[in-house]
Amino acid sequence: MIQPQTHLNVADNSGARELMCIRIIGASNRRYAHIGDVIVAVIKEAVPNMPLEKSEIVRAVIVRTCKELKRDSGMIIRYDDNAAVVIDQEGNPKGTRIFGAIPRELRQFNFTKIVSLAPEVL
Amino acid sequence: MEFNLSHSRETTAASGGAADGDPMWSVLRSRALSTAHQWKNSASSNFTRSFCSSDINNIEKNRGLLSLNEVEKILTDVRADDVKVIPVPKHVDFADYVVIATGRSAWHVRNIAQALIYKVKQKQKGAKRMLLPSVEGEEGGKWIVIDSGPLVIHALDEKVRAYYNLETLWSTGSSDEEHTQDLDKAFVKVRPKNNSKKPSKASA
Repeated sequence: MIQPQTHLNVADNSGARELMCIRIIGASNRRYAHIGDVIVAVIKEAVPNMPLEKSEIVRAVIVRTCKELKRDSGMIIRYDDNAAVVIDQEGNPKGTRIFGAIPRELRQFNFTKIVSLAPEVL
Repeated sequence: MEFNLSHSRETTAASGGAADGDPMWSVLRSRALSTAHQWKNSASSNFTRSFCSSDINNIEKNRGLLSLNEVEKILTDVRADDVKVIPVPKHVDFADYVVIATGRSAWHVRNIAQALIYKVKQKQKGAKRMLLPSVEGEEGGKWIVIDSGPLVIHALDEKVRAYYNLETLWSTGSSDEEHTQDLDKAFVKVRPKNNSKKPSKASA
């Protein structure tokens, strides 16, 4: 459940370290974003000497949420943190590697690029 | 290349059987062995994928979707550069094979993708419901992923390929190892050098 003002970790090596959600893309008056949704975020904290800087506005895909993710099989997945991957307008990830476990639902939401860069798919 | 592995296994099984004596019996046995092997493979993949709702079409996948040889042929036909087929390690059930190809321009990359989809459509002509692979990044033309279940085909621009470096990620599968190496480095204590005395030594 990501809403505007939620802080998220960054799960890639794009250079951002922390994001804050400022808008959910999709519907006009949507309250919460879940795994696989695209948000507009602002970079709150960045790694020095990287192309992305603090207070820059980027798009990101949510890849992990503390709110549980339910599957049809009855499986429930819940992560320890809220994390996102920075992407550009075309959906290409800004970073070249992704850290941590990624749910396989992202593949169905057409983020195969992110899944193929990830070290572990749950 | 890697995709010939199963073939060679069958042939070795056959030759081993032939050494036993009766050729007819050996052929039968090798056939049974290979079928059993295939069945095992398919069963395991079915099991691992059954969690994923996008791959319900498992049974039909062999009929409708592209095989590795077809993909290779198409890629050579459209003159994609530097085609690499990487078998995915066993513990990852994301796909069986990853194919990476380079295009010379955005147009070329898009053409590679279109040629693959065209082939799938040709293959399923007359079917009631066409089962098309999902295509991602077609408008950009820098990195197009065609996800047809067990085969994932990446068509990339030259620069983008160098940037993301998918080969090293998939071929070594050593992203974890890199991590641990970094950790090892991080834990080693390095005493900061005291440079303040050096110039005085040099002068003395």
